Amino acid sequence: MKTLLSAFFVLLFSVSAFAQKDSLALDEYNKYIYYKTAEQPGAVADTLYYRALSFLTKAYTKKELKLVKADKGGNALNGSGVIVINKKNFFGGSSEGGELAYSIKIEVKDNKYRYWLTDFVYQPYQRNRYGNSEIMHGKDVALEKASEKLSKADFNACINQVLVSSKQVGDKLKAYMLKASTVEHHDVKKVKRVSTKEW
Amino acid sequence: MKKVFLLFSFLSIAAFTVKAQDTVKTTPDAPLVIYGSVDTYYKYDFSDKGSQIPTSFASDHNSVSIGMIDLGLKKKVGKAAFVGELSFGPRGQAQSIPNGPGGDSFHIQNLYVSYDLTDKLNLTGGYMATFVGYEVIAPTGNFNYSTSYLFTNGPFQNPGVKLTYAFSDKVSLMAGVFNDVWNYYSSVKKVNTFGSQLFVSPAKGWTAYLNVATGKQSGTEFDLTTAYQLTDAFKLGLNAATYSAPGDNTGGFSGVALYPQIAVAKTVTLGLRGEYFKTKANSSEVTYAPAPGASVTAVTFTANIKAGPLTFIPEVRFDHGSKAGYIVPATTGTSAYQVGFYNHDGNPSKSAAQVLVAAVYAF
Repeated sequence: MKTLLSAFFVLLFSVSAFAQKDSLALDEYNKYIYYKTAEQPGAVADTLYYRALSFLTKAYTKKELKLVKADKGGNALNGSGVIVINKKNFFGGSSEGGELAYSIKIEVKDNKYRYWLTDFVYQPYQRNRYGNSEIMHGKDVALEKASEKLSKADFNACINQVLVSSKQVGDKLKAYMLKASTVEHHDVKKVKRVSTKEW
Repeated sequence: MKKVFLLFSFLSIAAFTVKAQDTVKTTPDAPLVIYGSVDTYYKYDFSDKGSQIPTSFASDHNSVSIGMIDLGLKKKVGKAAFVGELSFGPRGQAQSIPNGPGGDSFHIQNLYVSYDLTDKLNLTGGYMATFVGYEVIAPTGNFNYSTSYLFTNGPFQNPGVKLTYAFSDKVSLMAGVFNDVWNYYSSVKKVNTFGSQLFVSPAKGWTAYLNVATGKQSGTEFDLTTAYQLTDAFKLGLNAATYSAPGDNTGGFSGVALYPQIAVAKTVTLGLRGEYFKTKANSSEVTYAPAPGASVTAVTFTANIKAGPLTFIPEVRFDHGSKAGYIVPATTGTSAYQVGFYNHDGNPSKSAAQVLVAAVYAF
């Protein structure tokens, strides 16, 4: 019986720990921030800088993420991006509720790098006459104040998607930093040739 | 006891598993989006002589009536996208779209495909809602439930092909060729209406659209549609247009409408539409505009009360024309019809008033 109880609490604790593993934080200016540091032994700062540059220029379309400033001397890069916030509708599908603009900063050193996403600004969408979603001009609100403007459900959806999307951006950056980028083109001339006649 | 704990444990695991599967997933391509709305209303015209004010929709007096169910599908894969929007109901059929050749409704509000030729240049073709004007057919796109004279007398749809170039987030230009007549699924003969739209955003929260649609058979309409979110709570919109009928006909219309709106609570916004509309002399007599050479001033007070996806729209409207109503007698092939207003006693009047409450659910 004790074993069963222990197992249950261990399970409960582990699930809670998993849920809290990734979360948004507030920085020293009380702004939401998704902050990560990563070790990458064997990679010098110069290499990591160019891989981060490649990430900011190639990983997404310019509408989704673009390079704003590249500071080679300071080993730092700035970008700005957009996360689309989806609302689930009663058909089980999803429709766009708005978008969150954000800024990202990446800093590199020998064997490690860090990055953070912040300055989240929510811009609600409205459906236009052509059935497309477009920004409601003049209705943008900083994520820190969004709870005052949005319904509880919309605000929770925002926070949830900021976290999920920030993690996805981080995972993609990690892939670029490891040079596991999928954007590398397949060069037919460099494909290894084998002969099936001899074995 | 053991069984209870076992059951509780499995339920806990199941609950967390369900929770884990409920997280948002994003894919490189946008998902298939289903969107739309339903709307219903009750209207009472104070003359009690039927619906006097010629609003496009909300046409039934002293009746709980339906607008439409609007169902749209859209998807974008890479640079290619489509939108297909169907509508059913009075608002979504005879009141806003044409019938097909056999007299049956096609139910199509929007049916077009588009392709991003570059990051800044988009090509779109098909049957599209018009680019002209402030108000739209879908109830979710309007603040007021009844419609303006400018909307009712302008184009509803312009099928054609258009190119849109975005110079920046603040400036874009659209130019296209459209069918020779408005509001038809196919052209009468040619694709010779030229249309253009210049979009500018001079300041944060301020958008302005300068539109022109001109064709030998469709006439020429110049239109300015602009809105400025001056403060977090206050928005001011403006629509001004002038239309010249085609050919030697010197008829047409001109008008201007102002749309101030103020949010008084998180879920309540109050708004007013003040419109002046004049039918040019030598125009044809129609039921949905003042008599040729006459004008009308319309004031509409509207509230939008939101409860999640549902919006309640109470509205009261007063119209005052420069000329009292009259009946155009029947001729061969046409029935007699009314132009202008009649009062509660059945006498010609320069004024009309109505009150309505509508409910619009958007998804």
